[in-house]
Amino acid sequence: MIDIVGLKKSFGHNEVLKGINIHVEKGEIISILGPSGSGKTTLLRCLNYLESPDEGEIIIDDVSINARKVNKKEVYQLRKKSAMVFQGYNLFQHKTALQNVMEGLVVVQKKSVSEAKEKALKVLQKVGLENKIDAYPSQLSGGQQQRVGIARALALNPEVILFDEPTSALDPELVGEVLAVIAKIAREGKTMIIVTHEMNFAREISNRIIFMDGGVVVEEGIPQQIFTEQKEERTKQFLKRMTPELDYSI
Amino acid sequence: MVIDFSFVWIAFKEILKAVPLTLILTFVPIVVGFLIGLAVALIRAHNIKFLSPIANFYVSFFRGTPAIMHIMVIYFGFPILLDYVIKKFNLPFQSNHVPIVVFVITALSLTAGSYLSEIIRSGISSVSKGQIEAAYTIGMNTFQVVKRIILPQALAQSVPNITNLIIGFLHTTSIAFLVSQKEITGAANIVASKNLKFLEAFIAAGIIYWAITLIIETIAYFLEKKAKSYSRSAF
Ligand SMILES: Nc1ncnc2c1ncn2[C@@H]1O[C@H](COP(=O)(O)OP(=O)(O)OP(=O)(O)O)[C@@H](O)[C@H]1O
Ligand SMILES: [Mg+2]
Repeated sequence: MIDIVGLKKSFGHNEVLKGINIHVEKGEIISILGPSGSGKTTLLRCLNYLESPDEGEIIIDDVSINARKVNKKEVYQLRKKSAMVFQGYNLFQHKTALQNVMEGLVVVQKKSVSEAKEKALKVLQKVGLENKIDAYPSQLSGGQQQRVGIARALALNPEVILFDEPTSALDPELVGEVLAVIAKIAREGKTMIIVTHEMNFAREISNRIIFMDGGVVVEEGIPQQIFTEQKEERTKQFLKRMTPELDYSI
Repeated sequence: MVIDFSFVWIAFKEILKAVPLTLILTFVPIVVGFLIGLAVALIRAHNIKFLSPIANFYVSFFRGTPAIMHIMVIYFGFPILLDYVIKKFNLPFQSNHVPIVVFVITALSLTAGSYLSEIIRSGISSVSKGQIEAAYTIGMNTFQVVKRIILPQALAQSVPNITNLIIGFLHTTSIAFLVSQKEITGAANIVASKNLKFLEAFIAAGIIYWAITLIIETIAYFLEKKAKSYSRSAF
């Protein structure tokens, strides 16, 4: 369903993605782990062309893009296949929670206002914000804002939702509510690619985990394998740093 | 010397007749200038080829020179240009048929446009990059992003600055009396010269300017509150 083939991206002389190959099946939950600067955000941003990759192919559903000969129309088509949840929420500040969710439905998907509203209300209820629909982002907590962000993505009914460290900007006590919402959506069979530093969450929720370092996929596998029997030394070192509790069990 | 208060009142009533022209000289350039400023700000924000350097030059020149100069250059220069065009195309028309007020409005519109483009530009840069990216990821095109996400916030952000500009402009229109426009200052000058009571006439003019300013400020206060109702500071 999603195929990323030989994806490369450089910023100046800094080659950040060095030929990434990833295949994702419909309904799969993929978590991407990796140290800071390994290119995780850049990879997600290439998937919706917030960054233009230099080389490689991106195929989502029936849209296929070759980085070397891409045109504007293809980019718009590709973007409609995915939706993104940002670390910093990035809600439209001048719109209420409801309007944030309706925006794409009305403007991009050309749904009628009443249809969009009905859909938006349903999704906001799913993320537990039915009593905050008229609040502006500035009136919501970080956790609530991120749940609006998730609702905005989910409402578009994309083929895949991309999460870039959705809980990293949150106060610790608000992380749980957001992870709970993501887990709920995951159970409904939505395809998701999640970049996260929440190791336990990734382990519980994912069908497959991808470990990236230095712009390449170092290792991938089911959570059980990645967390307990890593093949690569780099994966081992990273997980040791990220999950100090493993030390105690030895 | 004592102030002749009864003459202040006489002058007041006389000068009041000049208020409509003053308001026209203030608001027509602001409205036209807003459209110019919007276009210029967008051209610069998107760094559009060929147009961007022209826009930069325009803003730099008009902000770098006083409004009185714009009026004078257009007042004296425009007719020459117009006559040239008329001659070239044999038009049944003469440049001295154009009312002076048109020159003044043209000049002040260009002045306002340069200031408004900077105000709108700073409003645009206040919209976070993240929101713009979010808008693109949900599939919007550039036109939709500008219209639905960037401009509403940029303009809401600009209201206080635009208010200041309008008030500044109200007072700037006084220079139009130099090209014999009978706006408030011009009218004050005429009443004053006729009766040789300058102090009284200008006190009356001052009161009128002040009153109009207060009205603009009051309207702006409510507009500002409404425009920024989405931000926490308004609560
Ligand atoms: N717009 C940019 N211009 C130049 N360099 C960039 C840009 N964006 C990212 N980089 C560089 O690319 C590399 C990878 O960055 P990226 O944000 O993808 O890493 P990451 O894996 O998401 O890290 P983190 O866990 O800290 O979020 C870094 O070295 C970063 O400095
Ligand atoms: Mg990142």
